[in-house]
Order: sequence, then structure tokens, then C-alpha cells
Amino acid sequence: MRVLVVEDDRDLNRQLVTALTDAGYAVDAAFDGEDGFFLGETEPYDVVILDTGLPKMDGISVLEQWRRAERNMPVIILTARDRWSDKVAGMDAGADDYMSKPFHMEELLARIRAQVRRASGHAKSDIECGPLRLDTKTARVTLDGQPIKLTSHEYRLLAYLMHHNERVVSRTELVEHLYEQDFDRDSNTIEVFIGRLRKKIPPHMIKTIRGLGYRLSEEGDEN
Amino acid sequence: MKTNSLAFRLFATAAAWVLLVLPVAGAIIYSLYRTEVETSFDRRLSVLLTVILQDGIDHGEDGPGDPKDVGEPLFEITHSGWYWQFKPLDVKLPPSKPPDAKAANMKPSEPRVPRTLKSRSLAGADLPLPSEFNIDPNDREIRWANLEGPLQQWLRVAETIYVFGEGKKAKRYSVAVGGTLGEMEASLGSFRTRLSLSLALAGVGLLAVTLFQIRFGLLPLHKVEQRLAAIRSGEAVRLDGGLPQEIEPLQQELNALLKSNQEIVERARTHVGNLAHALKTPLAVMVNEARDDPSPLARKVAEQAELMHTQVNLYLERARMAARIGVIGRVTEVGPVAESIIRALERIYRDRHLTFVVECPAGTRFQGERQDLEEMLGNLLDNAAKWARTKVLLTAVPAQSNGAPATLSWLQISVDDDGPGLTPEQLAEPILRGRRLDETKPGSGLGHSIVADLAHTYGGQLELQRAQAGGLSARLTLPLAV
Repeated sequence: MRVLVVEDDRDLNRQLVTALTDAGYAVDAAFDGEDGFFLGETEPYDVVILDTGLPKMDGISVLEQWRRAERNMPVIILTARDRWSDKVAGMDAGADDYMSKPFHMEELLARIRAQVRRASGHAKSDIECGPLRLDTKTARVTLDGQPIKLTSHEYRLLAYLMHHNERVVSRTELVEHLYEQDFDRDSNTIEVFIGRLRKKIPPHMIKTIRGLGYRLSEEGDEN
Repeated sequence: MKTNSLAFRLFATAAAWVLLVLPVAGAIIYSLYRTEVETSFDRRLSVLLTVILQDGIDHGEDGPGDPKDVGEPLFEITHSGWYWQFKPLDVKLPPSKPPDAKAANMKPSEPRVPRTLKSRSLAGADLPLPSEFNIDPNDREIRWANLEGPLQQWLRVAETIYVFGEGKKAKRYSVAVGGTLGEMEASLGSFRTRLSLSLALAGVGLLAVTLFQIRFGLLPLHKVEQRLAAIRSGEAVRLDGGLPQEIEPLQQELNALLKSNQEIVERARTHVGNLAHALKTPLAVMVNEARDDPSPLARKVAEQAELMHTQVNLYLERARMAARIGVIGRVTEVGPVAESIIRALERIYRDRHLTFVVECPAGTRFQGERQDLEEMLGNLLDNAAKWARTKVLLTAVPAQSNGAPATLSWLQISVDDDGPGLTPEQLAEPILRGRRLDETKPGSGLGHSIVADLAHTYGGQLELQRAQAGGLSARLTLPLAV
């Protein structure tokens, strides 16, 4: 899952990036409205954390322009302005959630998970796929009730596939959603990680659809 | 008309002036007229006296003779009120004697006893004489007096002393003419009545004109009053419309004041907002940093930063409230505000598939700032949405509130949810700042206390009750704009 943090306060930005990276997200950071807008317009993020009081271009305008350009990723506004008029303005501009500062990092993470789940059409915080079970709260995967040990990149890949299970996910999509902007995007690395994952879960669950990508599926039929 | 009103002052002054001036004018006019009437009456009497005396002289020899050429028929009619009389002085004789009978008995050798001559109208009675009442003569040797004559008639009597004959035969006579005052009094009386009536009419007319003048003259002030009321009730933001020259400066000053008032509020709000932004981001950084560190110092920092956050919120809210005091004339329609907040909440809680129902008659308006209503409804609706199972109901109806001044109209807004609600003990507790009845759901614990504080600022209140649907019902009483 890829997250964009647009926050002009350097310390807070760093804290957010650290906390999100620790929680298993690929995080990009922007420090002003223009950079933020550019990243959000060009990169496919799963969630955006957006401050409203930004230099160069304020957050509400950034959000409005994204929505006008039909960038429909979930956006959580994170702002010190906690009047309801600000909240209403933010939500009307197209935000999906609103948090006021100071905030609890756990709550922000919970809301990010909720947005990611919602975007992929899952109602509960636990996502199941056959014997696999992903607890998004604790970032743990169990197989038949037994926890599996995953590296952070493996976790990101499996979590993304589980969020989008029963759907064919292309390699490009995986690259775009799993790695930060400045990551070396060699699609071969995806194949490496898929191979490693297949050793940790029933290998037939991840199907390679030639020319299209991969599909995580409960059945694992030979199609 | 209230006693301390301008209209009353003007009217009272005018009325007092009219009440003072008209009777005085009446008295002066009456006295002038009376003097005039009396003077002409006296002149008439004086003329009659002269004519009768001359006639008496003409027709007598050594005494007065019966005047025959007076030409006044009233002297011939009994008790007509007009009389004359020649009365010899310096003799002791019965004043009136039928001339023929006694004269026949008189001895011719005896000097002729002077007779008293009277007009036929006296019918033998005596004319009362001013000289008998010690009235002094005026510079023309005529004595004037008002005396009671025959049949209790009040008479104006003019009397003069005339000496008939010469030498030893000279005899002094009192010559008098009397005229009744009744006619003059009657005519004066009727004049007085007509005068009083005319003056009273004039007075009523003057007062009516004054009243009209006051109403017409003060009409612009009434307009100002109505427009100020419109500003107060929020239908207008400034005092518009042409006003008379005299109060135009007032209008300009008032508009400038209203404008500056609004600007001050806007500025204060902007500063407060900026301050919020400036303080809260560093606080967020501190809290996050400290929470990742298990050392006692970090715990202390985290704890103190939370405290600072609470304090910042408290004083920001106070500053916002202070900026609001003295701001008049804002009106906010409830429906659209509720709809906009619900639109936001529906987005925030879209996974919960909550039904938000707004029952608010169109045109229901809150007498106050939009931001404040947003804050109150936002907190209540958000809280209700957090706890509701399926449904949040907002109703806004004009209502009579008990305990609040009855002179104002009130608006009752209820936000009900069908969640778990509160226990009777929890409901009985006062709404306190930072008190969270359930620590498991996110929130600052400031929601209800902020709403209650805001409601108090407007003289209203917040009550927590049990909703019909089973959950919590937050009842907000606020001033209604009418």
C-alpha cells in the first residue's frame, strides 16, 4: 500500500513517514502544496494524508484539483483547523476523512486502514482468503491460525494481493502501489517476492496470469 | 405614547403651552371686550343724562320740567330697566308724591315745594342714587355706580347735580339716569360662551396639529427603530435608506460601527485560527515524539503536551466566544447547516450505512453565528453518529422553553440516536469539560461541554435525555430568529 504524506512541518512529516513505514506502507512525502499536488496527480496512492495549511497551494485547493482531475484515492485531511466549518469545507472538497491535530498516531493508522479497506471493498478489519487471514490492525498474516513470518516487502505484497483477492493485479500496479517513488522499480523484484511468498503460503494460491499479472485466489484452480 | 418618549415630551410641551396661552388670551380678549361694552354703555347713559337734563331745563321754569323730547320709549314702559329721575335736594319732604293731589292742597302763597320727577317706567319707585352711597363724582361731576333698583334689577346709574334757578330761588337737583345691566351682562355672557367655545376648538385643533406634526416629524426615527430591529434580527447588516439630514450622521456612524464590529470579529477569528494552526502542529510533533520514547521524561512531555492541548482548545474557544460578544444581527438557517454537516458525516461514516433524518421546517432560523451553530450541531451529530446503530434523527422546532425568558422565542433542536445511550446516573451528571463517558471511542471529550458552553453564550442550554429510540437525545435550546 502506498501512502502520500503532504505536510509542511518537517518534524511532523518525518514522524508520519516513520510511523507509516513501520506499519508497512510505502510512503512518499511532500512538503508543500505544489509538490503534493503533482505527486497525487501522477502516482497511484492508496491513501493520502493531507494538511490544509500548506505553502504555495493550500490543501483544500490541492484536493479540489485532484478530484476535478478524477483522482479518486482516499484522502484524509490532517489539520489544526478543527472548526466544523473547516471540516465541512474539507469534506465538501472531496475528503474521505478528517482528523484534527494534535492526533493519536494509532487513530490515524486505524483510519488509514479503514480507507484502504473501503477502497478495496472490504468491510471488516480482518481480510480472509481461504486459510489465509490478514489482520490489518496488527499487520499480521496467519495461515490456518498459525502466524507466518514475513519481511516488510513480503507483507506489503501479500497485503496488497489480499486486499484485491480474486482479481488480476498487474506487475505495474504492484510496483506502483508497493514501492516509494524513488525506489528502483525493477519489475523482476516482484517476481522474486512472489516466489518467496509461494514458499510461505500454499503455492497454488498465487496464480500467474501470463501477460496480465497475478491473482490471489482461495481455490487455486489451474486456469 | 410612553412618558419618556420624545413624542410625549413634544406633545406635553405643546399641550402645556396651549393650555396656558388660550385661557390667558381668552381672559384678555374678554376683558377688552367688556371694557369696550361698558364704555359704550356708559357713553349711552351719559348721552341720555345730558338729553334728559337739557329737556328738563327746557320744559321747566325755576325747576325741572317733565322732559318730553327724549325719544326713548323704554322710559315709558314700566320696569323696563331704563329710568330717569329729577330729585330736589336740600328739602325734607317725602320723596315721591303724586303731583296733582298734593299740589291741589298746597297753599298758593307758599313757595312751591320742589317736586321729584320720575320716568313712567319707575312706576313710583325711587331710583337708587350713587350720592346716597357716598360715591365721589368724576371730573365731569357725574357719579357712576351699579346699584340695585326696582324688582332687584341691577342698574348702572349716572347722576349729576344741577342747580335750577338763580339767586334765592336756586334749587339743587339730583338728575339721574339708570339703565339695566341685564342686557349687557347677557350679551357679555353670550360673548364669553362663544369665545370659550372658539378657543376650546382652536385648542383642540392645535393639539391635533401638534400630534400630527410630532408623528410626521418623528417618522424617520420610527424607521430607524425598525431598521435597527431588522439589524438585530439579522435581516439587515447595515442601516440603509434615506434618512433626514439631522440623523444622517448618526446613520453613517452606526454603519461604520457595525462594519468595524464585523471586521474586528473577522480579524479576531482569523488570528485565533492562525494561532490554532501555529500551536497545534508543534504540539502534535511533541506528542508523537514523546509517545515513541519510553523514558519518564518523554512520558512527562506527552502528559504536559496533552494538557497544553486541552488548555489551547479551552482558551481558543473562549477567545472565539469573546470575539462573538457584542456581535448583533446574525441569523442562520438551521436546515442547510444541518444538511452540510450530515453530508460530511455521511462521508466519514459511510461504511456504517447510517440513516440521517432531518426534521426541520424550512425557514427555521437560529439567532446567532453560523459557525457557532455548525460547531454545536457538528459535535452533537458527530457524537450521535459515533454511537448510533442505524439512525440519527435531528429535529428542530420552535418551542417554549421552561426556565428561559419568555420574551424571546426559542428553538429546540434535538439530536437523537438509537445507540446504547447513557445510564440514568450518567444522564444526571453535569456536562463537564473533558469528561468522557466512554473512553473506548475516539474523541476529545470536549464535544458536549463545548456545545453547552456555546449554548450558554446564547442564553440557551443543552440537556441530555433518553431518546425514544433508546439512545441518547441531546436537546439544545437556542434563540429563534423570528
